[in-house]
Amino acid sequence: MTPSKASILVALACAACLPVLAGDSELMRAMRDEMDRAVNELRLGEMERPFFISYLVREVTDANATAELGSVVSRSEASSRRLTVQVRVGDRNLDSTNFYGQSRGSSALARADFPVPLPLGDDYGAIRRQIWLATDRSYKSALDRIARKRAALQNETRIDEIPDFSDEEPHTYTDEAAAEGVDLDRLAALVRELSEAFSGMAHVSASEVRGSATVNRFSYVNSEGSSYVRSAPIASINVRAGTQAEDGTVLEDSFTEHALILDELPKGESVSVRARELAGRLKALRDAPHIDRYTGPVLFQGQAAAELVRRVLAPRLLALRMPVAEDARMGRFLEQQTNPFVDRIGARVLPRFLNIVDDPTIDSIDGSALLGSYEVDFEGVPASPTDLVQRGFLKTLLSNRTPVLGVASSSGNDRGSGPAPSNLIVESRDGLTKSEMLEELLAMAEERELEYAVRVERIGGSLGIVGSRSRRGGPTSRSGDGVQLGAVVAYRVYPDGREERIRQAVAVGVTESSFRDIVAASEERTVHTAPFQFRNRLASRVILAQGPALVSYLVPSLLFEDVTIRRPQGNIPRPPIVSQPPLSK
Amino acid sequence: MRSLPRIGFGGLAWCLLATLLPSSAHAGEGVLDAMRGELARSLEVLSEQDTPAYFLSYEISEERNVTIAASFGGVTARVERERRFLDIDIRVGGYELDNTHPVRGMRGGGSGRYAPLSVPLADFDALRKVLWFHTDKRYKDAIEQLTRVKTNIQVTVQDDVQVADFSPEAPEKAVEDLVEFTIDRQLWEERLERFTAPFSHSEHVYGADASVSFTVVTRWFVNSEGAEIRTVEPYVRLFVAASTKAEDGMNLPRYESFFGRSPDRLPDESTVLAAVDEMVRDLEALRIAPLADPYTGPAILSGRASGVFFHEILGHRVEGHRQRSDEDAQTFKKMLGEAVLPQAFSVIFDPAVTRAGPTDLAGSYRYDNQGVKGRRVGVIEAGVLRRFLMSRSPIEGFSGSNGHGRKQAGYAPVSRQSNLLVEVSETHSSAELKEMLVERLLEEGKEYGLYFEDIRGGFTFTGRSVPNAFNVLPIKVYRIYTDGREELVRGVDLIGTPLTTFSKVAAASDEIAVFNGTCGAESGGVPVSAVSPEILVSQVEVQKKAKSQDTLPLLPPPSASAPSQTLQWETAR
Repeated sequence: MTPSKASILVALACAACLPVLAGDSELMRAMRDEMDRAVNELRLGEMERPFFISYLVREVTDANATAELGSVVSRSEASSRRLTVQVRVGDRNLDSTNFYGQSRGSSALARADFPVPLPLGDDYGAIRRQIWLATDRSYKSALDRIARKRAALQNETRIDEIPDFSDEEPHTYTDEAAAEGVDLDRLAALVRELSEAFSGMAHVSASEVRGSATVNRFSYVNSEGSSYVRSAPIASINVRAGTQAEDGTVLEDSFTEHALILDELPKGESVSVRARELAGRLKALRDAPHIDRYTGPVLFQGQAAAELVRRVLAPRLLALRMPVAEDARMGRFLEQQTNPFVDRIGARVLPRFLNIVDDPTIDSIDGSALLGSYEVDFEGVPASPTDLVQRGFLKTLLSNRTPVLGVASSSGNDRGSGPAPSNLIVESRDGLTKSEMLEELLAMAEERELEYAVRVERIGGSLGIVGSRSRRGGPTSRSGDGVQLGAVVAYRVYPDGREERIRQAVAVGVTESSFRDIVAASEERTVHTAPFQFRNRLASRVILAQGPALVSYLVPSLLFEDVTIRRPQGNIPRPPIVSQPPLSK
Repeated sequence: MRSLPRIGFGGLAWCLLATLLPSSAHAGEGVLDAMRGELARSLEVLSEQDTPAYFLSYEISEERNVTIAASFGGVTARVERERRFLDIDIRVGGYELDNTHPVRGMRGGGSGRYAPLSVPLADFDALRKVLWFHTDKRYKDAIEQLTRVKTNIQVTVQDDVQVADFSPEAPEKAVEDLVEFTIDRQLWEERLERFTAPFSHSEHVYGADASVSFTVVTRWFVNSEGAEIRTVEPYVRLFVAASTKAEDGMNLPRYESFFGRSPDRLPDESTVLAAVDEMVRDLEALRIAPLADPYTGPAILSGRASGVFFHEILGHRVEGHRQRSDEDAQTFKKMLGEAVLPQAFSVIFDPAVTRAGPTDLAGSYRYDNQGVKGRRVGVIEAGVLRRFLMSRSPIEGFSGSNGHGRKQAGYAPVSRQSNLLVEVSETHSSAELKEMLVERLLEEGKEYGLYFEDIRGGFTFTGRSVPNAFNVLPIKVYRIYTDGREELVRGVDLIGTPLTTFSKVAAASDEIAVFNGTCGAESGGVPVSAVSPEILVSQVEVQKKAKSQDTLPLLPPPSASAPSQTLQWETAR
């Protein structure tokens, strides 16, 4: 049923009542005024005053729709405005952050890190009242934390005197973007139409198309004089489908398209084509033979190479600070989660023909759009390119204002829940052509007297849409031999050039140190965009409040000398007992 | 650098009028037909397997919702949501013993919850394919579970009396009319702003939230016994919450909630505003009210408080399935036919009652989640325990359902409460009840009794491995002195154990109140009501409430318009 004419007319009229975000809004004014008061007056007894306060407000409208087989199964839209307050006490060298302690249960101290809902409108008084209460909680929590941190350090001598907070020049920024909306009806129509691609396909037993369109508007003020107001929209379409082969093997695949706004997503037909390709891949997999175990050279091409970089290498390029632990047990837990690359600055981590640059300041390269761009990071630090790896040597790490040994200041990479890449670009000197890469692969296989070599085109994972709940396993669950990567499109490559599809395999044993021994890279590169998965559970239980951050990876195909490809473990479920229902039309 | 694209009117996020409409494809009877067809087709094959399926049901629930929230006079959230879920009950074995048989030694008896399954409704081929796909998976889970059940019976101690796992029920057929709400969002946003604005005039209110939520739940149900039901449950909830803090850090909340089957069944604006004013006054009074001490002695519970009291201490213990679980304390299992309350008291559960006075009841429904008609159940008649709330899981002495098999989408149904009605044949006026309290105080030589006026909810433990206590969380408690004087106090919870407390219920007044809420238990959250008069209890026990250690805000509230002023205030310490 369509909405009545009356409601459309009212909707049009409402455009006039959207807040105008030019100049200093009531929101910014309330933030600045309350910050002034807090900086000058907030003090508990004789305890220390805050030396740094920041307010970050995320105003978000988020639309989501899911469809199956031409029918919308769920849709939702929500608008909110949430404030995250940071108060630091102490001084730059030792402050209330970088501390990992016992949870404070449900007290206000524990809630101090949680975002606080603010009124959506321009009610200065109502906004300021919430900022006041949130600042108060945050200040008390900071006092509590620094007291506990000092207690934990009392009987220890700090070995490395790394400051807790870097000194940065104040910076202000306001983008020009107008207030935007999301259109749930259009999003729902898009996912519905795409999901129809699988209607009537008997070999696809389950499928789903999810769409989301999010419009974020961030407003930030800190007590050092930095501020920004900027928009960060994200739209995505995720298509997933699965089937069971004759023998019951669960076969699943998916793809995701990202853009900044709904209108920029690939239009109906081109995505429908990709959905049908996905269905085609599943069909090909049904008939492909298994692989038992292969160890030898593996060529990761296109999306597969980029996904490898995203899952294995990118998390290592971040300057993650090891916090002070409240007790020894927590200390041991934290040690397991440190980034080994923090100690590898200056070491060779890639072959000499590879460089890595992170560059938030460009929005396209070789004609491909890069979606990880921004002008200013979440801590108000201006964006700039960072040379991470030069001629194979690790030069620095991507950082925010929390320094680590060897990285003293921010590279402008705080993306809301800690440091993260923006546009991560892998450059290869003397890149090979596609056929040269294949020749190299076969030559290496021959050297090891292997019957065939393996190339991987797509890395995906078990989605759990076909597999029963008890047999659902994460695609990248860490086992003894490193990250497991589901090689959903992979081929055996024979010396005579013949290729044979491999059914459902996993690549194991690829770790950050495998990248050092990359044998060759292609001249052709693929752009692959995905939201960054923050795994930074170290920093004081930061709540993932600022939404996902898109990262674009530009990566050449990569040839690894030693990778193991094998069947996924576990038994195969039985195929369906009842035949599929016949189509009525 | 990219300049962000602008979106014109077409991309506007929010229009002012929202309509919660069913989508066109299932306005007709096609959904039930498709469900019936696929059910028959699957069952035909699955009932011929080595471990045959003997029963299959599908329930599709569609939930359409619009929620608006405000705080201190400003709208803070707008949410619109539409979801469709599928629940499948497939049983292998037979009515006497099937895959749902409780597995001893396994927490929850092995009945679990599944991730809610989404389901397409606009295209019947698609719907049938999804039904087929999930039915197959659930059948395989069911045969696995039956094997576990059979092994478990061999290796564990079983009850003396064997009861069946499932009761046959007459198939019901009913199709309710679809309902749509037209919601004037602008009007409601402004109302919520008006409902929360008065709190910002008070210096000591640190939290003030209101939300209104419009929901229409449409359910389609078919089973292999021939039931075919479409039910439509619309409701609107308006909720206002505010809190303050005493000097000692104690958090003091106040809540008001309003329920109606349609927007126009909610109280008018002036009624809500009057309630808000009272909340502000109460918070100011509570903030400076003296702390109550642990106390045991006579007390009066208001209708609302008493409703929650009965829900917690009686209602959860007469849910039939608990009489069968070996993990449950089974407080009332062997007390059938015995007096548990004074003769004047009856406690009835009746989902068919839709209103109490002017108030719509949240616990009303025509059919439960197993397709059984919701029936009136006299649990306690003239003080004597007569029967339990029953789903289709029989218990000793009760072989059939009385239409109380309820659940939230994605859970397995168990027996749950509906509308709890405390009916008292011999009542007194409110003033008489208070006189009776004072008489008891004088008899017992006590300085004061307690009056529990408002309550936010409660919880209870019914398991065997924990004390079988209940805890009711009062918000407004008064001391009533022997001279009739009343004094507001704070900081206590009402506690006790069920049988003892029941034996102390003494009398009731004719002041009846309604508590509409959502009850959470093993089958998820279900809407329930409790309707009760004010009651006199000869002995209650209260304990000190858990208290927050957080201090008052250091700075005074900011002034509404001007930038900050200089140090006019002393900080609160």
